[in-house]
Amino acid sequence: MAAGDSIRGNQNPSPPSGERQKALSVSYRDVTKIYPGQTEPAIRDLSLELPAGEICVLVGPSGSGKTTAMRMVNRTVEITEGDILIGDTSVRERDPAALRREMGYVIQQIGLFPHRTVGDNIATVPRLLGWDRARVERRVVELLDLIGLEAEMRDRYPGQLSGGQQQRVGVARALAADPPVMLMDEPFGAIDPISRERLQNEFLRLQAEIRKTVLFVTHDIDEAIKMGDRIAIIKQGGRLAQYATPAELLMSPADDFVEDFVGADRALKRLSLMRVRDIDLWQAPLAYVGQPTSEVRAKLEGAEVPHALVVDSERRPIGWLSEADLAQETVPARPDSGPEPILDLDDVMRDALSDLLQTETQYAPVTDAQGRIAGVLSVEIISEFLTSPEAKVEERAAAERPLAG
Amino acid sequence: MTAAALAGLPLLGQVEIRNRTGEGGCVQDNGAFCFGWAADNLDRYVTPTLEHLVLVLVSVALGFTIAFCMAVLSHRRRWLVPTFTGLTGVLYTVPSIAFFFLLLPITGRGTTTAIIALTAYTLQIIYRNIVAGLANVPPGPRDAGRGMGMTNNQLLWGVELPLALPEIIAGLRVATVSTVAIATLAVFAGAGGLGDPIYADLTFKTNIVIAGGIAILMAISFDALLLLAQRLLAPWRRAEPGPRRRHRLATLRGAPRPTWT
Repeated sequence: MAAGDSIRGNQNPSPPSGERQKALSVSYRDVTKIYPGQTEPAIRDLSLELPAGEICVLVGPSGSGKTTAMRMVNRTVEITEGDILIGDTSVRERDPAALRREMGYVIQQIGLFPHRTVGDNIATVPRLLGWDRARVERRVVELLDLIGLEAEMRDRYPGQLSGGQQQRVGVARALAADPPVMLMDEPFGAIDPISRERLQNEFLRLQAEIRKTVLFVTHDIDEAIKMGDRIAIIKQGGRLAQYATPAELLMSPADDFVEDFVGADRALKRLSLMRVRDIDLWQAPLAYVGQPTSEVRAKLEGAEVPHALVVDSERRPIGWLSEADLAQETVPARPDSGPEPILDLDDVMRDALSDLLQTETQYAPVTDAQGRIAGVLSVEIISEFLTSPEAKVEERAAAERPLAG
Repeated sequence: MTAAALAGLPLLGQVEIRNRTGEGGCVQDNGAFCFGWAADNLDRYVTPTLEHLVLVLVSVALGFTIAFCMAVLSHRRRWLVPTFTGLTGVLYTVPSIAFFFLLLPITGRGTTTAIIALTAYTLQIIYRNIVAGLANVPPGPRDAGRGMGMTNNQLLWGVELPLALPEIIAGLRVATVSTVAIATLAVFAGAGGLGDPIYADLTFKTNIVIAGGIAILMAISFDALLLLAQRLLAPWRRAEPGPRRRHRLATLRGAPRPTWT
């Protein structure tokens, strides 16, 4: 199902500036972690394949072991049994410090060094890797630009930045050595909701460009759905409950735990993953200004949408024909009811539904980028989509659903 | 040997440094401060002051070196902390004059004895402050540093110690100021210092004011210098709009204690 990807928008990243390391896949092979002195494993037999260049979110209630699972990748927590491969190499064969320098690491507390300037913070890993001074300089400038901070910020101390700016510097620092894998442990957890939303969007834009393999830990299912190409839901006792794309997860939760965790509003959450263009729109009979109404009435017979949409010569919607309009000889230039709301093919489905409900209209014309009519969306179409057989929801006739109308 | 050493000790109040002849009534009457006498006799205090300075500097430097090594040693071996705290604590409780006398049979009279005792006194304060400073490093930077591939040593020297610096210097300040005070007793170990003129004539007010004044001035100067060093070494601290800073300002201005909501 392609719907999960569509929100990501930019599928054609701009050409990379300078050399760039290839993202590597990460695979968990029957990984178990038992902390010393514990009898119950924190993570039990975890097997996951993270394709290179995707964001995989580990999500679960607190105490489910999701952070433990992440930390075994850079060996800040040692694996008890099983193995994790980065590309083809086992992390167990690597020197922990060298391994960590090849991975971006972002944590909830951000963890910037308060005694070092922004520039020095960003330069941490390149310096550990022994890059020469000029190369470090260039990289710092490049990264400040990438995260949208002005160049003069490099001499500030973290204490002089806002929370959002600090988080951006944290991401820049993690990206400094262009690591093939990024580990992000609740990176936006300590940020206020408004800034968090913005930082999430920024990171997704960034990711569309840099295409890292990202392992992202959160306890927030909404964040997981928004950020993840894939989501691994981990339940108490460190067991994997389900590993799927956000759309799959919302359509067919593997068990009661997942269904519960995903939330009662999972149908609405699915809508926020889609754009209007992802759904099969209906077609309304079109009426051109000045056209005889008899022709329009003929088109209305057996049409999907029982109302005719007036469009101009460029096929841009003008309004809907009423019975009174149809009683006239020709199609009027100003029909009784306007076309509002007009939706765009690129609108997020959830917003489109909201527009429909708010304006209390049954049908809304959808236009393409040029403003030309592309189809008609109704609450009925959305509800039919959500209850379609592929959604594996109990089959019910769309007509029985009280939602439409 | 002990007897010989003891015989050489000055006895309180018995050595007169007042030159009662040829001076005006001030000295005769033991006035609050005799300027004439002070002007004529200031050179008496130069050697004791220099001795005092050496005692303080050497003791604090030695104490810092030892305490620092202990702190670094116990940093990744937490079980050593109670041992070291206990050890330095015991040393700290020994009365200073008793300490000098305990050392006399081993190291004899002189600067060495005084420095050993003074150094021992600094250990507790400096050690505890370094340990506390390292323990108070916020977990974020430590975790991030480790996660970015810093070795334990890189983490200690690059992150933990710089962040502990304000507390380390705070310990040094207390240790230095108290060493300036305790070093006035070094005269009982035969090491001179400002204790020499002080105990030479405890009843002569002008003498006490001058010798005591020099000691106080020395303590204040060291304190100010260390504070300045902290400002220079930790410029990032001024960048932090932390609550402590705001609070201090508020109290200075006599404003009511801020309430946290």
